[in-house]
Amino acid sequence: MVTARRLVLDLLKPHEPDVVTFADAVAGLDGVDGVNVVLVETDKEVQTVKMTVEGDPIRVDTVYETLEDLGAAVHSIDEAVCGERVVEQSDTPQD
Amino acid sequence: MRSHLRRLLRALEHEDVQSISRRYFISNGFDGALTSVGVTVGAYLTGIADGLTVFSIGIGAAIGLGTSGVWSVWEIERAEKRAELARVEDAMLTDLDGTRIQRQQTGARQVNALMSGIGPIIGVILPMIPFLAEGSLLSMRAATMLSVGVAVAILFVFGVYLATISEQRWFVAGARMGLAGLLVAVLNLLLPG
Repeated sequence: MVTARRLVLDLLKPHEPDVVTFADAVAGLDGVDGVNVVLVETDKEVQTVKMTVEGDPIRVDTVYETLEDLGAAVHSIDEAVCGERVVEQSDTPQD
Repeated sequence: MRSHLRRLLRALEHEDVQSISRRYFISNGFDGALTSVGVTVGAYLTGIADGLTVFSIGIGAAIGLGTSGVWSVWEIERAEKRAELARVEDAMLTDLDGTRIQRQQTGARQVNALMSGIGPIIGVILPMIPFLAEGSLLSMRAATMLSVGVAVAILFVFGVYLATISEQRWFVAGARMGLAGLLVAVLNLLLPG
């Protein structure tokens, strides 16, 4: 079972269920402390949203299963934070 | 059974499910009430002697319209909701079978079909009740008139209900709906057969 402290996911979802339902469903999972869902783009039938999940520990498989049950597709994992503490990304010269 | 009921109640919380169910309920209830007016006036004019026979005919009409309401909406909504799901699946390039969205559609379809069936049953059975009192409390003529009155009252209530959700004047909307019942009764009296 893979666990994480923070996940940032790029999701494609139908208009229904709405983002509140998505946020509430994931926030209700064991280990999840909080969820943020931001609408990135709305098309005719679908929406692209960015979901940030924080917790200790987040069961990644359970999050995926919940999102799939709600009808969402995970396009990409934009950020994953695992381990004993939350580590923020470091600035590099390229930034 | 309880989880099934819970699913139906959950489906009914959605505004679009309420809206579609309301349309089917009122539309088929309207059909039922007008059918009952036709049946009762027609039965009176053709000289059916006892109220129980008219009531039995009415029950037959209620079963027919109720079944029609459930069956047709079940099939209509199956097609509509499958098409809707297919559009979303095409846009998402994924299969949504077994997801919550598909389960919600099934629940919505069941609620729509149920409400579509209840409408005509109420619309037909309530106006038939006066015929149960024929012979003891009412004459055939009085039972027929009371039955038409009940049907018009049902139509009036439908109109008032529609007015409450659309900010119309309730008495105007009610009268407009009720008028249809009176019109059917008058047409039955005037037209041959």
